[in-house]
Amino acid sequence: MSGRRSRSKQSSVSSITDDQITDLVSKLQHLIPELRRRRFDKVSTSKVLQETCNYIRSLHREVEDLSDRLSQLLASTDSDSDQAAIIRSLLMQ
Amino acid sequence: MKRWTTKREHQIYSSKLFQALCRSRRTSSSTSAKELHQTADRVLAITAKGTTRWSRAILAAPLTAGTNMKKHKKAKVTVHTRLRKPVVNREKRKLPVVERKLRALRRLVPGCRKLSCNNLLEETSDYIAALEMQVRAMTAITEFLSRGEAQVPTDRLGSIGNM
Repeated sequence: MSGRRSRSKQSSVSSITDDQITDLVSKLQHLIPELRRRRFDKVSTSKVLQETCNYIRSLHREVEDLSDRLSQLLASTDSDSDQAAIIRSLLMQ
Repeated sequence: MKRWTTKREHQIYSSKLFQALCRSRRTSSSTSAKELHQTADRVLAITAKGTTRWSRAILAAPLTAGTNMKKHKKAKVTVHTRLRKPVVNREKRKLPVVERKLRALRRLVPGCRKLSCNNLLEETSDYIAALEMQVRAMTAITEFLSRGEAQVPTDRLGSIGNM
């Protein structure tokens, strides 16, 4: 990769323009609850990326926990086709 | 980004997931949490309709890959990193923080290990929105099943068939 500046603290990622990255990073910032609350314009790129990684990991953990609970619930519920139809219709609401 | 936030998508995902879970319950006596998680991810990827890299990567991945395989890979790698260690440390000091964070992000989003920064951030936005919907849908299903039959409101049954 060309243009890697190890001296400057605000070193840009080499291959793409800074504007594109800033644009996308600000888009990411809006998606992450942690950063949305603060509404600072000056959250650093690395902070946004760090929080993004943390957020994805926490979402993964949540889905893992839900999978766990769901698998236990499914094992304990009786296989009742009527109940399944009711639940499906409720999900359509 | 309106995608993944509409009620309709939520409904489609929830009902597809529920159907998949009922089906798997009929074929095998118990579904492990890991299999369930995998099913939830695959249905999520299907709902994406092949428009994103992460969804295609999930669908392309082998089912219930054994953890043994991962151990083999690790064993091979340790031999090499011992030889390369001094070089790697120097490299780390040179790499800007942003690059390191991007690398971590690449590992988290499926199928994006060699993606450019630009595309990676696009995929990440979509992946996060999809995961949030996955959590909402699975929470809803869990709540339905926890409540059980007794509390199902019967007056809503009249609106079956709107889909």
